[in-house]
Amino acid sequence: MTGRSAGRGGGVRRAGRALRPVGRAAALTAAATAVVFTATELLPGDAGELRTAGRASAADIAAERDRLGLDRPAAVRYADWLYGLVRGDLGRSLVSGRPVADLFTERLPATAVLVAVALAGTVLLTVTALAVTGLRGGRGGSAATGLAAVPQPVYAAVLGAVLAGLLGWLPAVSLLPPGGSPLADPRVLVLPALTLALPSAAFATALLRGALGDALRRPHVTDARLRGLPAPLVLHRHVLPFLYAPALQVTALLAGGLVAGTALAETLFGYPGTGQLLVSAVAVRDVPVIQAAALLPAAVLLLGMLLADLAARRTTAPDQARDAAPGLTGRPV
Amino acid sequence: MHQHPTPRSLPSRRSAATALAAVGALLLSACSSTPAKDTPAASDSTPVDGGTLRYAVAGSPATASGDPHGGLGNESDVLRFALTYDVLTVPGADGRTRPRLATSWKPDADMDRWTLTLRDDARFTDGRPVRAADVLYSLRRIAGKAAENYGRLADFDLAKSTAPDAHTVVLATRAPMADAPRALESVTFVVPEGSEDFSRPVTGSGPYRVERTGAQTAVLTRNEKWWGERPHLDRIEIQAVADPQARASAVASGQADVAGSVSPAAVKSAGSSARTQVIRRDGVTEYPFVMRLDTAPFDDPRVREAFRLAADRKALVDTVFLGYGKVANDLPTPYDPSTPKDLPQRTRDVEKAKRLLAQAGHADGLTVTLHTTTSYPGMDTAATLYAQQLADIGVDAEVKVEPADTYWTAVYAKKAFYTGYYGGISFPDLTRVGLLSDSPTNETAWRSRSFDEGFAEAMATANEARRQDLLAGIQRDLWKDGGYVVWGTGDGLDLAAPGVRGLPDGPGFQRMFIDQVWMAK
Repeated sequence: MTGRSAGRGGGVRRAGRALRPVGRAAALTAAATAVVFTATELLPGDAGELRTAGRASAADIAAERDRLGLDRPAAVRYADWLYGLVRGDLGRSLVSGRPVADLFTERLPATAVLVAVALAGTVLLTVTALAVTGLRGGRGGSAATGLAAVPQPVYAAVLGAVLAGLLGWLPAVSLLPPGGSPLADPRVLVLPALTLALPSAAFATALLRGALGDALRRPHVTDARLRGLPAPLVLHRHVLPFLYAPALQVTALLAGGLVAGTALAETLFGYPGTGQLLVSAVAVRDVPVIQAAALLPAAVLLLGMLLADLAARRTTAPDQARDAAPGLTGRPV
Repeated sequence: MHQHPTPRSLPSRRSAATALAAVGALLLSACSSTPAKDTPAASDSTPVDGGTLRYAVAGSPATASGDPHGGLGNESDVLRFALTYDVLTVPGADGRTRPRLATSWKPDADMDRWTLTLRDDARFTDGRPVRAADVLYSLRRIAGKAAENYGRLADFDLAKSTAPDAHTVVLATRAPMADAPRALESVTFVVPEGSEDFSRPVTGSGPYRVERTGAQTAVLTRNEKWWGERPHLDRIEIQAVADPQARASAVASGQADVAGSVSPAAVKSAGSSARTQVIRRDGVTEYPFVMRLDTAPFDDPRVREAFRLAADRKALVDTVFLGYGKVANDLPTPYDPSTPKDLPQRTRDVEKAKRLLAQAGHADGLTVTLHTTTSYPGMDTAATLYAQQLADIGVDAEVKVEPADTYWTAVYAKKAFYTGYYGGISFPDLTRVGLLSDSPTNETAWRSRSFDEGFAEAMATANEARRQDLLAGIQRDLWKDGGYVVWGTGDGLDLAAPGVRGLPDGPGFQRMFIDQVWMAK
């Protein structure tokens, strides 16, 4: 340790610095859920109206809204929800009355497996794509930008049509056997995971292509090559250290995105995870369930960013570490 | 999504109200009184025992519930309830009420007290006998949850109902109600008296028992002690799948044995495959065009008649239901036993329609707005095609596709001319909710004293044939003068693996009672 952190003031500062990401995460979480809450409010109809399916009398609808607590102002309901969250209570579903936490506990394992497989696929595809475009002198990378722009349903439709319909290699839907894990028949994971991984790998490739090019063009890399060091060594010692930090941050970003993306993939393939729960909760304006579903990708993203930060501090190129350490991004200067 | 299935025979006025609209895939595929002739499942070979049936059924995780007395928002839950709980009565394949837990029923002279005799050999799976007290408790619990289940039993006065002995229940109705046994069909799930916590499966007395429930699936095994005819299947796995296409794919790819409520398009695309059979449940899904009698130009009967004559019914059925349906004759419940059989079929007559419009003062044409939505597949298509047909009689109909989420609150029963939805409601239910002068949502603004009196008289008539005659009589007025253009009904469609036999193809919730299904080896 250097003298910088010596003394009482340094300790407080250090503690403050350690807490800062936590505070930031909390603030961002609150912001994310507030946005989702507002968006749900702006949708036409609420749980009371939609549950009575429109054919009930005005008095019936009012009674139902009253029972569900929907007659209170939106701000009060949001504050209520936030207060519950702080106490670790996600509330109860407006539709079934079951604790939201239970609904998610049932479905989280399936989604966790799907996201993990999709993330692994993303990493694999991204590394391959970067290697290929790198070998070709950086050409062909614009294809990644194009692929990243293709909407997810198109991937789902094309993949399903080809791999399940035409070739018959995979099941067209991803139902899980009762009480079973997706790992019992991993084939059911392929289509939803590919639907998630392809666009996110394209996105990651587009983002990291620039960082890779920058790293390759650095003087010390040119220098190392001129000195005749073998390519793997140059890559390992002089190029990759500059990619860890952005790669980790991109991974954190994508993990959050993948969790959010399960909504579509799970619904299309009938996969019983939290994404499917979100979609059907939006349809009936089940606000506590929607809020919890919004919390999930936000939490994954923020946690990922936090880990990426910590990791970046440790893995930044050795000659940069001392100066780069305090920054959020750990970006080498 | 379509989250609110409600049974065909919803008992109450408010439940009927909901049934009108409400509601989901269940209804989409509901009910008929005559089994489709080409149903392969209606095989006459001898049933064999054993096997597991995997049933992919409409269901959304957000509306899933374990409480059989609340809102029946999820078809997958209803299927589970129908297999694990006994109900008082069920609809038969011919549309008539059949006994289940109630072996017989008898009204008093005023038709407002019904004495039901319960079978004495029914037991819950924990060994306790099913008693009248359990039935009354369950019915009262349903009535107590009226806000959640749209007042499913609102026409019964359960405070005045009694259980004079262990196997007799006397149900009081709020008004003479000749169709009370029908109102008890399918949804009167009986649980043990005092059951309150439904977060875990509550014991039932039905043909199957719940072995396991999870995020999307329920596993049921045969209840060996059930009083009824022994079910053939050892096990039934219920898979809730929200997307109709995913359900159809599940059967096509061998991941499920039955897919409930699939779209005509899915059937067309599966039609060439030897791996699937189509179960066709004669149609009651309908998207009538509704004209309000209290609003110009539809306050003129000549305009309404012209609009009915403009419809090319066959073209509509072929386009909207892809041929899986048949033309209708402007009566909203053609499957009801009370439908008059002697009315001529209205057909397209452009010249006569133009003449009528001219007589009504619209010789130079007429401009109207036809509201529709996308709540149910094909609703918007129906309106668009009908608007083209109206152009031929000189009517300029602008089709306005409204958001599905608010359609039933903002448009339904409010605009002068719009697309409705029925999923198999009975004529008495429809009348209570939408055709009496004091009905809560009189969607056509149909107010006729003779109609009101005719209905009251019919409901107080014990003789069934006489009652159906009376109901048929008031439907003739409706056919002649009402505010409906009912152009056709679409079939309910299920897909099944080739070996599945005995799937119900009758009315409404009857198809949830799959305890006699078997699998050919």
